[in-house]
Amino acid sequence: MKDFSNQFKDLPDYILKITKEIWEDRGLSTLHHYYGKDIPMRFPSGLVRGNAGVIDGTLATLCEFPDRQLLGEDVIWSQDTQDTGRYLSSHRLVTMGTHTGHGAFGPPTGKRFEIRVIADCAAKADVIDDEWLIRDVGGIARQLGWDPVEYARYQIQTEGGPDKCQRPFHPDHDVDGPYMGRGNDNEWGQRLASILTQMMDKDFTVIRREYDRAARTEHWGARGGWSFDFAETDWMRLRSSFPTAAFKIHHVIGREDPGTPYRAAVRWSLTGKHSGHGFFGAPTGAEVHVMGATHAEWGEWGLRREFTILDEVAIWKQIHLHTGNVE
Amino acid sequence: MSRFATLPDYIQGVTFEIWEGRQIASLRESYGTDMVMRSTQALILGTEGVIKDTLAAQAAFPDREILGDDVIWCGSEAEGYLSSHRSVITGTHTGHGVFGAPTGKRVTTRCIADCFVQDDVITDEWLCYDVSSMVQQLGHSPRDWAAEQIAREGGPDQATRPFTPDQDRPGPYAGTGNGHELGDRLADILSRIMDYDVATVGRDYDRAVSFYHAGGVTGWGRPAVEAEWMQLRAAFPDARFTIHHKTGRNDPGEPDRAAIRWSLDGAHSGHGRFGAPTGAQVHTMGFTHAEFGPWGLRREWSLWDETAIWKQILLAGA
Repeated sequence: MKDFSNQFKDLPDYILKITKEIWEDRGLSTLHHYYGKDIPMRFPSGLVRGNAGVIDGTLATLCEFPDRQLLGEDVIWSQDTQDTGRYLSSHRLVTMGTHTGHGAFGPPTGKRFEIRVIADCAAKADVIDDEWLIRDVGGIARQLGWDPVEYARYQIQTEGGPDKCQRPFHPDHDVDGPYMGRGNDNEWGQRLASILTQMMDKDFTVIRREYDRAARTEHWGARGGWSFDFAETDWMRLRSSFPTAAFKIHHVIGREDPGTPYRAAVRWSLTGKHSGHGFFGAPTGAEVHVMGATHAEWGEWGLRREFTILDEVAIWKQIHLHTGNVE
Repeated sequence: MSRFATLPDYIQGVTFEIWEGRQIASLRESYGTDMVMRSTQALILGTEGVIKDTLAAQAAFPDREILGDDVIWCGSEAEGYLSSHRSVITGTHTGHGVFGAPTGKRVTTRCIADCFVQDDVITDEWLCYDVSSMVQQLGHSPRDWAAEQIAREGGPDQATRPFTPDQDRPGPYAGTGNGHELGDRLADILSRIMDYDVATVGRDYDRAVSFYHAGGVTGWGRPAVEAEWMQLRAAFPDARFTIHHKTGRNDPGEPDRAAIRWSLDGAHSGHGRFGAPTGAQVHTMGFTHAEFGPWGLRREWSLWDETAIWKQILLAGA
């Protein structure tokens, strides 16, 4: 890889190794090298600038969950066609840990969590300088004993109340980072983007056309299910909560690697009014931005594994800040 | 000429027809009259036995869906095919049957069936349901359920014998696989684990491995999968481990993958999941499917039937 340290054999190797080094091997200070000084990090919970913030956030999380493990399930990646030596990695992780320290989730409960994360990182010359990171915060909250609705209220209160708390990410806050790519042109990426677009156009018959009958779907909230029913129901409930919101596809990667299933990674968003029933209670009219990421694998009979992460807590926070019902 | 384009399509197609399509009687065409079915629960001989077994299973869970997760296969039209079919089975316990009176509970389990197919007819079979996960979801411990099963079947003298090699009958299939390197790779990993070289997990498994083991046990990462394999081996530390069949496949757009059928034969001479050692002679029919990725073995499914093991232990002590 051009301009990368020769200890890394390819981009996935780089991503897996630095993730382990930073977290499990406690190399927080290596973030000075591996993360850009001014990196924009777009979490659903808000925009963070610069590697100093990333280091402090990592430290806080490690204090709360010192045994946290990050297992890299897949790295779906592309090369920037405009900017040689620049890559985009969509890294799907399973992460688990025990809540033994004080932190964002309150006093330690001794409970364990196990969730998925999708991190889209742009990297060049050993350095990650642009990022979109979606953690299944709703899944952590549930496993630690919170209702995500209440946990969002707790966040608002502990961050100083509705006027001072951190604003969940909205495209209005966005800044341009160094990565301007949109992915690659591989057909599997196009196929996943098209499936998601059809669903968001309310053509839910696409699931029976495109998914394997034995498909496994893993969704936000650390929930999953088999076959068509789970996928259909979950996607319908999401769309139904924001039926008029604008759906946008931001980044699309498809890959065909030997010995590996055809697969794809798509980052997308929904922006608009909370104007329907579904996942988020009675409609409130709140303006909401949903940052979503979907990975998929295909087999002989269609899409056989689907993974979608969004942050329910960040959505609830936007709703609470709109209604003012924060107590 | 087959109605189906490929062997996997045939397996998925007839499974759907027989179960969800209710064409139980079609087993008379798709199964050989004298077929030998080695279910972990019992040796079943002939189509009529398979038909009764299928009917009873459907009556207990009439809304059962069989979702075919994968078909890992070898062979040819001329020689016949060996298909190792891994499925996820879901259904609601609304009927009377071997699981007792209906509980209304919804059950999700797994099954691996190795079938020999010649000219669209299945003539030889090895079958394992994760019965232990089913009974646990229905509210029983695998041990107590095996004890109740023995009582329901008329006591230790009358109860159906779980499959053991001494009952076996030669069927038409004598193959041992396709000689593919991925089958060898998985067979070597299992052989090393069973030869107490548990460190092979650290060498050959992806750090992010996910697995499913008998009893509905699921987990992530090497330490968890090591612990599961050690638990099984520790209960039968002196048993003989044998690889019976290995298939490897490297298909475009599919993960590199393999299917192994194996067994452990010998005394229940160690502490573990099956309680204090009893010395009972136990046959464990095991099936392992795996997918490999760039960082090692990344998904593993291993089935054996814990209730059939308990039944052998309890029958030996009766």
